[in-house]
Amino acid sequence: MPAIATFVAASFIVPERISVDPQSMLWLLPLVAAVAIVYKATKVSKIKAANFVKEVVVLFGSIVIFMVITALVLYALAWLVTE
Amino acid sequence: MAQRSRESHILFLLIVGLVGWLVPGGGHAVIGEKRHAIVIFVTIAALFVVGLYVGSIGVINPVSAKPWYLAQILNSPAVAALGHVTAKGDYGVYGKPGEIGQIYTSIGGLLNLLCIVNAVYLAHVRGTGGAAD
Repeated sequence: MPAIATFVAASFIVPERISVDPQSMLWLLPLVAAVAIVYKATKVSKIKAANFVKEVVVLFGSIVIFMVITALVLYALAWLVTE
Repeated sequence: MAQRSRESHILFLLIVGLVGWLVPGGGHAVIGEKRHAIVIFVTIAALFVVGLYVGSIGVINPVSAKPWYLAQILNSPAVAALGHVTAKGDYGVYGKPGEIGQIYTSIGGLLNLLCIVNAVYLAHVRGTGGAAD
């Protein structure tokens, strides 16, 4: 098997190294982007690049902002309970 | 004659759903929504591949992670072939990467289910002469 094929196959057999830190939360961004793109693809009747990108960005931003607000509320609740 | 037309309509809906499951976006391609099909295919395939890359193919686990597997298999029946391979082998899955891999691949499957339902709905509405919003 050529070296490049071996490298590609090996990268799908061994998990990546991802530490449990605040930066690991950034892995939610590609997921939110995918959800926004697919959801909008099922909602719009005609896909036109500029309009579609605008709608996806608005939905992506809405989801991220809502999640940040939820995280802040939960953090405040945890702080109130533990203090 | 009307009965036959109704049967062919139901058969068409089944084909749309089945093709949408075989290949993400395939259902939209069958009903002529090529751009929708391309966007859906690229996004779901990318989400699935990134999930496998991050967590390893061991995240497809039909033996000890059945609820996740049920969501993952909605990506495509090809996932069952992967599950067959991983059920025999010992592939490392652990910690945060395993968690992210499972979430990515499962959300990909659930998004594909949304697309299948949407494609079947659009096919039904167009077949019966209604207007989808």
